[in-house]
Amino acid sequence: MKFQQSASAPAGAFAATVSIAGIGLVLAQDVFPAWTGFHAWPYAASLTLVAAVVLGAFRGADAAATAALLGTLVIVCAGIGSGLLGPDTEVVARAPGTVAPIPGAAAAAFFPDAGAADIARGDARVLIRRTDGGSFDLGAGDRKYAGATEISLQPHLAAYVEARDAVGRHLTITQPTNPAFLSPVLLFTQNVTVAGKLLPADSFAAPALHREIKVFYFSKSDSQLGRSHGVAGIPSLLFAVDDSDSGKTVPGGIAFVRSGGSANLGGIRLHGTIGSYPAVVISAVPYGPALALGALLVFGGLGVGLWESELRHIVRRA
Amino acid sequence: MAVVAIVAVILTFKVYFAESGGSANALAGGPAMLAGAPAQSYPILGLDGKSDSLQHYRGHVVLVNLWASWCAPCRSETPALERLYEVDRARGLVVLGINQGESAGAASDFAVQMKLRYPILLDENQAYGRAYAAIGLPTSIVIDRKGRIVRGIDGELTLAQMSDVVDPALRDGQ
Repeated sequence: MKFQQSASAPAGAFAATVSIAGIGLVLAQDVFPAWTGFHAWPYAASLTLVAAVVLGAFRGADAAATAALLGTLVIVCAGIGSGLLGPDTEVVARAPGTVAPIPGAAAAAFFPDAGAADIARGDARVLIRRTDGGSFDLGAGDRKYAGATEISLQPHLAAYVEARDAVGRHLTITQPTNPAFLSPVLLFTQNVTVAGKLLPADSFAAPALHREIKVFYFSKSDSQLGRSHGVAGIPSLLFAVDDSDSGKTVPGGIAFVRSGGSANLGGIRLHGTIGSYPAVVISAVPYGPALALGALLVFGGLGVGLWESELRHIVRRA
Repeated sequence: MAVVAIVAVILTFKVYFAESGGSANALAGGPAMLAGAPAQSYPILGLDGKSDSLQHYRGHVVLVNLWASWCAPCRSETPALERLYEVDRARGLVVLGINQGESAGAASDFAVQMKLRYPILLDENQAYGRAYAAIGLPTSIVIDRKGRIVRGIDGELTLAQMSDVVDPALRDGQ
């Protein structure tokens, strides 16, 4: 493998080093596509510099080196393309039974129905249907590629809540501020500061009793705040029950509940189960076929270069 | 060589422009989006305590009505549902009232008070509400004899509006 005639070894070594660094950056994006740094200017600028060095090394390169450089250029272009033009990483958290469009992958995510046990186990799978008719389902830890997009799942904090009246009759739960109007699964999409701690918060309503309930999630460490309520060190929910007509908290309407527990609060009995429900993570990745083509050219060029070098060595010895 | 490099760059970038399109937005929003989709069914209890589900009514045109006793529009819509059931029952229509989240006592009291004769099912976990993308109560879903959703409608309906939706489905396949 040969680069420029003059000072070919240092120039070749420099181009090879820069190429390896560039390929490494692009492969890192393929492995960790959710990192936001891949959509920031330093990443694009670094790869542009790599591309400039590679383009400069073409002059005087032999066929094997040309192939390897061309392969590097294709891989680097795939990285710049996904970094600059690909959408930023998006986390789509939706209630069970709902559908979320994923325009970047020309697909839609179908979130399955889930009961309290499903939320406690946190093992629900999401069905992805592409507009071309293809479909696949994803479980925790799975990653699937759709063109220049990677779709994966990450667990999202969730709680399944139930409400009963004073005589134990089950009540309808609604979420007027949520598109999934009838979902008893809370996804804690807001954060609220309580006693100096930023806590995941959500709310729901029990219209039959004219009650609105605010729910705050206390993690194992945050729940030290509830030590006087017997939940220190235990992940818990804090329920605060308001009268939806007056907007005021009902007397005796605040209590901590650990997962699977319940509390009577101002005429309503609330039960909560803490767990997780999958959120879909959509990340731009370098286009797979471009990576494959680039890898083929790089390894092909390196292979031919090594073979030529070996051949020359044999001829010299002979 | 420069030309090859430029072509490689253009082809790679073209992929990202092409992939950023898509038309899945058509799937966003409410029960109206469900037309044409297969109707989902979950086993739940009837007022008599026996297991039942939407699946049991395959072969009929089914008007699923999601309701709750605290919901005022549900209450005012109920006489029209009962009337529709009386009129079109012989043509193969089933009106299926699926209570959302309430216990048998509340649903039963309501059914007695409103003199309902169509089947009432109890969906304590509100699974039907989520599956049929209810954004409020009442929500009505019309399902044809083959188990496909004809239409999903949010809000209270009059008898005439109900008939307009179920008539074509009842005529189809007779």
